[in-house]
Amino acid sequence: MAGVIKKMLDEIIAKRSNGNITMMNLTKTKLILKGLNPDKFSVTSEDDPAMIQKIRLAAQEMGVSI
Amino acid sequence: MNIKTSYSVNQNLDAAVKEICSGLNEIKPKAVLYFASSNFDPDKLSNKIQTALGDALVFGCTTSGEITSGKMLDNSVVAMGFNSKVIQDIKIEVLENITNDSKGAVEKAFKSFENHYGTLMSNLDAVKYVGIILVDGLSGAEERIMDRIGDLTNVPFIGGSAGDDLKFKQTHIFANGKAYSNSAVLALIKVGVPFDFIKTQSFKPLNKILTATKVNEASREVIEFNNRPAVQEYASALGIQTEKASEHFMTNPVGLMVGDDPYVRSPQQVNGQSMIFYCNVHEGTDLTLLQSDNIVEGTKKDLKEKEQEFGKFSGIVNFNCILRTLELKQKQQTDSYGQLFSEIPTIGFSTYGEEFVGHINQTATMLVFK
Repeated sequence: MAGVIKKMLDEIIAKRSNGNITMMNLTKTKLILKGLNPDKFSVTSEDDPAMIQKIRLAAQEMGVSI
Repeated sequence: MNIKTSYSVNQNLDAAVKEICSGLNEIKPKAVLYFASSNFDPDKLSNKIQTALGDALVFGCTTSGEITSGKMLDNSVVAMGFNSKVIQDIKIEVLENITNDSKGAVEKAFKSFENHYGTLMSNLDAVKYVGIILVDGLSGAEERIMDRIGDLTNVPFIGGSAGDDLKFKQTHIFANGKAYSNSAVLALIKVGVPFDFIKTQSFKPLNKILTATKVNEASREVIEFNNRPAVQEYASALGIQTEKASEHFMTNPVGLMVGDDPYVRSPQQVNGQSMIFYCNVHEGTDLTLLQSDNIVEGTKKDLKEKEQEFGKFSGIVNFNCILRTLELKQKQQTDSYGQLFSEIPTIGFSTYGEEFVGHINQTATMLVFK
């Protein structure tokens, strides 16, 4: 399987920003500062279980259900 | 006039307080923000300023140098008063024992803000509200606090880490007429005028990536870059001898790039083959090697661009990294830097770290009001 990490990160950004571009950029910056850079992953990125767990935890802390 | 600044270089505490406060009371301030040299007695200073300003909500912190319109100072107090046209409402919370439970402290403060404003922090309008954070600069807690703030709200928090005139012994934040250590103060403000932010750092990215492949996040230590001992790889990227690495820390920090915008991470010291930083580096992070540029010219350009986009400034609060100040002093550019703000009501201080979205280094973060 591949692409789950990218999908999860995009979903966090979409849900936190509600389509507001400023908030999209802000959320992306927050994720990068947490060590979760959406630009480092693509639809072909391997589904690393440790990374998926890290993103799930970040989403939970940010109050986003994914 | 809705924003007014004052400052005093008087070393007598009572005289300094009198000078500061007499300059501010004429606008009947709703809130006063001040930055003071750590050479003043912190408890007495906080108590006397609050007493002198009566009903105004007063907060601030100690510094490693102060900034006011047209000047960079040492051993002074600088203050900015805001009337109710600028600050429609403000609530302050002190976070204590932040080295033990910074996340819990943020959550407790946010509950108080929610009670005060009657709105969930997650629902507050980021265009109408702004947060100011002043935090003990020796606590090492800034990343955890900023991370939790960012989790819970989209309201931007901007600020700096308190200094102690480069003694590195104890810093203080001021609120409620008291002085606190191992603490942070959060101010959540409903702003009555347009506001914006400037984040400026004078560095050019070099075409060299250092990936932090082994780190100790708790101690802000990078053990390996690119799977090699950190200091060796850093030196190799710069094309210098490993023994010379620390001589380049100020001019060649690294940046966590968000697009073209670096969030600067400054190396502090070499520890064996590892490098200790002034802020946290996450494992797996790609960092771009940076080359220092002209601080005065870079700041001037960023101020001008923001003014063209935003309009004329009625006030600036400048959180300016101590490493920038040291470089400005070394290059005898403090007057030139101060002059950038000569026409604008400005206060600021030399920080032990800057806060904006996260915790950053070698940057000036500024809150600007129209």
